[in-house]
Amino acid sequence: MDSWVIGMMMSVSIFLGSIALVALLWAIKKGQFDDEEKFLNAALYDDENELNDAAKKEKKRKDASKKKEYIPE
Amino acid sequence: MSDKIECDHCHLEFSKDVMIEDEGHYFCCNGCQGVFHLLSDEGLDSFYKKAKGVKLDPQTQQFEDSSNFDAPAFYDKFVKRTDDGFSEVSLIIEGIHCAACVWLNEKALINMDGVVATNINYTNNKAKIVWDNDVVALSKIIDMIRAIGYNAYPYDASLQELKANEERKDYYLRIAVAVFATMNMMTIMVAQYAGYFSGITEDIKHILNIGEWVLSTPVLFYSGWPFFKGMYYGLKTKTVNMDTLVATGSLLTYIYSIYITLTRTGEAYFDSVTMIVTFVLVGKFLEALSKKSIADTLDIMSKNLPSDVKVVVNNEVVTKNVNDILIGDIVLISAGERVALDGELLEGNGTFDESSLTGESEPIYKSVGDSIISGTVSIDADIKYKTTKDYAHSTMSNIVSLLENAMNNKPKIQQLANKLSEYFSSTILLLAAITFVGWYFYSSNFEQSFITAISVIVIACPCALALATPVATLVGLSIASKKGILFKEASQLETMANANILALDKTGTITQGRPQVVNEKVLEKFDTSLLYSLLSNSKHPIAKAVVSHIYDENLHCFELESLKNIPSQGITAMYNGKMLAGGNAKLMKTIGIDVESSSKNSEFYFAYGEKLLAKFELFDMPREDAIEAIVKIKKMGIDVIMLTGDHKQSAQKVASLVGITNFEAELSPEQKANYIDKLHEEKNVVVMAGDGVNDILALASSDIAIAMGNGSDIAIEVSDVVLLNDTFSSLYDSFKISQRTFKMIKQNLGLSLVYNMVTIPLAIAGYIIPLIAAISMSLSSLLVVGNSMRIKLGYKDK
Repeated sequence: MDSWVIGMMMSVSIFLGSIALVALLWAIKKGQFDDEEKFLNAALYDDENELNDAAKKEKKRKDASKKKEYIPE
Repeated sequence: MSDKIECDHCHLEFSKDVMIEDEGHYFCCNGCQGVFHLLSDEGLDSFYKKAKGVKLDPQTQQFEDSSNFDAPAFYDKFVKRTDDGFSEVSLIIEGIHCAACVWLNEKALINMDGVVATNINYTNNKAKIVWDNDVVALSKIIDMIRAIGYNAYPYDASLQELKANEERKDYYLRIAVAVFATMNMMTIMVAQYAGYFSGITEDIKHILNIGEWVLSTPVLFYSGWPFFKGMYYGLKTKTVNMDTLVATGSLLTYIYSIYITLTRTGEAYFDSVTMIVTFVLVGKFLEALSKKSIADTLDIMSKNLPSDVKVVVNNEVVTKNVNDILIGDIVLISAGERVALDGELLEGNGTFDESSLTGESEPIYKSVGDSIISGTVSIDADIKYKTTKDYAHSTMSNIVSLLENAMNNKPKIQQLANKLSEYFSSTILLLAAITFVGWYFYSSNFEQSFITAISVIVIACPCALALATPVATLVGLSIASKKGILFKEASQLETMANANILALDKTGTITQGRPQVVNEKVLEKFDTSLLYSLLSNSKHPIAKAVVSHIYDENLHCFELESLKNIPSQGITAMYNGKMLAGGNAKLMKTIGIDVESSSKNSEFYFAYGEKLLAKFELFDMPREDAIEAIVKIKKMGIDVIMLTGDHKQSAQKVASLVGITNFEAELSPEQKANYIDKLHEEKNVVVMAGDGVNDILALASSDIAIAMGNGSDIAIEVSDVVLLNDTFSSLYDSFKISQRTFKMIKQNLGLSLVYNMVTIPLAIAGYIIPLIAAISMSLSSLLVVGNSMRIKLGYKDK
């Protein structure tokens, strides 16, 4: 086996792993793990109504921001 | 009763007769009914489906006027302006029981006009609300939270807490990167080591080295950044610390390994770079994790004080915020309320519980002209008093600011490992320099001298040294927590092991904190149900103690007439036309019975129809295991001192019962703290154990503060160690565990030093074979970890 095969496998696996790592870092930074209970409970409230609520919330935020030129976070 | 039904809002069960019926729904009170209708009208009634019958607090609370929240003073203190003109406030929401509560609050708030964003944390009930002040006032938002059955009060999301959280998050990120890289590195290492023994082509080794290089780079420069920062600050103050050694060691190893990789000679050590950084970083994180935030403590403290009081203005009673009260205002206090401002009693009399300030177990009787102190609780007094100090200068607020001071200036004893690493690091760096110069003169070969000098630093792997403390303390902490002893910070084990004085509070710490009947004298046989019916009407600790003493299942309550609580004397009532009386000698005298009081203990007399029937003596007894534990602690060479706010007499008695010769009585909270400071000046390391608000200043100024598990919230917050099972023997255990752990730390440090003494001369001489370097690096760490496990010996079956 040529050494370039090992090099390729290694770089691909490190690349794939780092995607997962970056996703984790992003989630920590966004504060998704700050409230461990809510994170678990989110599974309970994910039907249509909640999705609509979330969309409404997002829209309200945008509208309010537009008025004040506010960029969320 | 079989016809109990649930309230449709709070789900508590009550008898059907008392429930309010409303179109097929049942409610326990108007409050619950109101909330239920509000939720239905707003279309939020799916809350009940989500809550699935979780029991809530019934909506009975009366709230102060929410307009306080719109006051400019409130805005200055708690409301932040965001960059784009919105307002933001941090609140603690009271009454959150389940995820549905969070859902309800968020939904109700976001449905309001002007509320831009809400974020409620279920775990700690803290909420952040962003709103547009031009559209809706904060008081309206608070009203909404209250209307749906919760309460909100602001907290100062001060810098300290924010900083602590951010620091923790920063560590998470760095550790995530380090662990990811280390794990991947290990798989490559397997190939490297296998190749070392069974042969490997130069090409493949080169590729593997480059892979390691890629992986170790973010670990060193991102995860290891705190060490470089630490080194920088160390250099600025001209001190060499562990950070210096870790940073220089790993950086030089990294550079050396790059050199090896590029020139394809010898072995690269990228793996040690990642290992050192990861291990030491995790050790650092463990220590940072448990650092408590002073901000939270002060939040709890101010929560204990009422935020509004009833004031008489022009013969009318008005509720006002404590900050608006001026000196000379007339304030009303009714039974069961806590006093917020200092003052002087004008009208009425009654007993006050001052135990939170003085530790004195007996209620204190106050009449016109006596001073009223903030932080105390009225037991049975309905009084009017004139304030003599404003809120900011009242006793309790003073204690809060003193506490803040004491916590910020808490003595820090430099830890052994830190002290040692300072010498160790400078010695190693010096040795490396000497090695380089020596080799250069000897061989005049720059490359070889440089590599040898680096190998000295690499082999003096600070890994074992850095791990010596965290691993041992971790094992110590886990044993302690199994025994119900909670150390809040790892470094406290070491400080506690060095303590030579134990200061104890009396009430609630050495004693059980409530009087007990120690002597009973029945002068004439009587129906105990009579005494029981009389005393079950009183909340006085002595009455409670007598009730629990005489209680058995056959007792029943008689119908008594004209029941009267006489402050600081006792209780009287009429039964069958004759007078029942229970109280102290003073009460007996007023009803015409002459009794001799000679005992040092509190006395309780019981009379029926002007005839004395029984006498009880009560005393706040020391905890059962106190004597034994104090003897054992003394045997360890620790001086035991008792500090109490109580009278000399009772202090003397308790001290002699548990075998304490050294005690100070009648101390105010400040005096207790001063006493501890005095001990510090004499270079003592002081452990203080206490339970009440009167101890917190002393607790905050001691080196190690221990709180009993049933102590007040604030005492537990201030403390470094909490004894969850509330026994005295665990106090002894905590000393034992900390001393044992400290012994292990010393052994660990010794081991890593011995290891270095063997390998460093070899490295200086240039004899370090790569394999030995690699093996001994892991071996030294393993030795330290293995040795730490020995703390567990002797604690197995307990």
